[in-house]
Amino acid sequence: MNGPSSKAVLFLLPAVALSTVVFLLPFGWLVYASFKVQGQGSLLMADGLSVANYMRLVTDSYFAAALWRTVWLSAVSTLLCLVIGLPVARLIATGSGRAKGLLLALMLVPLVCGALLPSLGMIHLLGSLGVVNGTLKMLGLIGGSIKLLGTTGGVILGMVQAFLPLMVLPLVNTLSRLPRDVEAAAASLGASPIRVWRRVILPLAMPGIVAGAVLVFCAGFTAFVTPQVLGQGKIATFGTVAYQQAALVLDWPFASTLAVVVLVAIGLTLILSAQFDRLTKRRRALA
Amino acid sequence: MRDTLSNRAIAAALAASIALPAMIAPALAEDFKGKTLVVGVWGGDIERLLRQNVVGPLEAETGAKVELVLGGTGDRLARIYAEKANPTMDIAFLNIYEAPQALKDGVVEAPDPKSPLYTEIWDGMNNGCYAMSLVGLGIAYNKKLVSSPPEWADMWKPEYKGKIAVAAYPGSEGDGLLGVAARLAGKDEHDADAAFAKVGELKPIALTYTNLDEAFAMMDAGEVAMAPMISGYVLAALKTHPDIGFSFPKSPGPVLVRDMLCLVKNSPNPELAKKFAELALGVKNQTDYAEQLYFGPTNKNVKLPESVSADVIDTPEEVKGLLQMDWPYVITQRSDWTQRWNKEVLGQ
Repeated sequence: MNGPSSKAVLFLLPAVALSTVVFLLPFGWLVYASFKVQGQGSLLMADGLSVANYMRLVTDSYFAAALWRTVWLSAVSTLLCLVIGLPVARLIATGSGRAKGLLLALMLVPLVCGALLPSLGMIHLLGSLGVVNGTLKMLGLIGGSIKLLGTTGGVILGMVQAFLPLMVLPLVNTLSRLPRDVEAAAASLGASPIRVWRRVILPLAMPGIVAGAVLVFCAGFTAFVTPQVLGQGKIATFGTVAYQQAALVLDWPFASTLAVVVLVAIGLTLILSAQFDRLTKRRRALA
Repeated sequence: MRDTLSNRAIAAALAASIALPAMIAPALAEDFKGKTLVVGVWGGDIERLLRQNVVGPLEAETGAKVELVLGGTGDRLARIYAEKANPTMDIAFLNIYEAPQALKDGVVEAPDPKSPLYTEIWDGMNNGCYAMSLVGLGIAYNKKLVSSPPEWADMWKPEYKGKIAVAAYPGSEGDGLLGVAARLAGKDEHDADAAFAKVGELKPIALTYTNLDEAFAMMDAGEVAMAPMISGYVLAALKTHPDIGFSFPKSPGPVLVRDMLCLVKNSPNPELAKKFAELALGVKNQTDYAEQLYFGPTNKNVKLPESVSADVIDTPEEVKGLLQMDWPYVITQRSDWTQRWNKEVLGQ
């Protein structure tokens, strides 16, 4: 018993060492910095510790609004990813041969090319002088441009586009492990396709759904490039506000505070999802 | 004895043959070989001119390499602050409102009043760092929508409602607009409430632009009528946009904006940095800045042809007609104003 576990620890060492150096230490510094403030009329950190940044965060409604906006933008994106992702994941999971490979490859493209490139591409699609507005104008459907960039709709579109693979991949994983005869059995007992989905496929796919939802939600919560580029500075999320504070205002202590809040929120999301996972497992064990 | 002598002679001759070329050729070439000067600066035309007038000659003369790190001032300001204890950047080009703050926080060298760099530049310009170029915040406008060069107050006319574009904030365009708006309201930038109330009247803002092409495309399409913009690039870009004009308003005048060249404190290559600064602030480079980019020179020895002089801020008298804001005060307000801008101008 002792043998394998100490060996496992040995195998974990490089990863632990790496994450200590590149993640835990900077994170510790971040937490420390969040309790500093800038000196009067200076951009440098003053001596001493204080909770002034946290007070500002709590007392200024602007940040609460940004936090709330970030939460609901991520939640809506997660929901949309789920609705769009489920059929796609099912197609990939049940498909075969070239079509399946192609679909999977297409799904992976946004993951491979990162957030910036697709976002810049979408500017040309959604811009006032972009493809969408241009087409609508050519067809005589609109006179002036409709605003797509710099709106929450545009940001959500960008986030769904960027994070869809994070939903689809875990779903494919769980859906492809579902025994097909379970569905056949349900159908042969008279369940309609909708009922099969609702009572059989969805409950069994729950682990995948939770995993995908957590991934998309966390990605949305920390997203910076997509809201920054597609929001055109008009949609303040926690990511863009933290960027503004760190890179433009140069108030690093306050930016650190924002980052700490984001990390805590993500930690909470993970704990919640683990709890949820345990609950559903227990329920299934009981059933 | 003779042998030793001749040996000595040979040794001496050898030593001389090694040392002489080094003495004849610029001694510096040996000193700076293998060194890399790191300069943080804007890209585009500025980069092109610096490569041509400064980087090329400097590399040829000294044997050093010059690395230009391109981007906005925020990037390099963040870098020199973060690296305060151990700088890796030698020169940072900053804005007028950032330079005094950087000096106060001890991240850049104070301009040396005795150096030729300092004395060749007009009096009173080296504020925090060395003054590099002078531009003014004026109004770019669509000539089809706005019939004559507009005054500031015209931006608030009802017919242009929803057709005003502004640059991303924080930035000198936004701060300049706040300064102008406050004066139109009978105050100045020290009264932020008045400034924001007035700028807020421009809502809804048609476009928050981060680059000129974006703004000009919207202007050419007739969706933007006017935008406060900094002369220089804009004037240079007008050649390819016949329907766009640029106005230097009268009341108040254009807001004076200065680009500053800062020598980073305790930088790895201070001597190279000085040489770079001499070339950058020199007559040749500043003349090209003026003729090609419409950036006004700060060097007293620059003489511009009449045609260029008309579009460029190039005399101390001209500077007096410009609106000079209290930039050191403005930067202390940056955090608050950024938030207010987000809320009150962009409606977040």
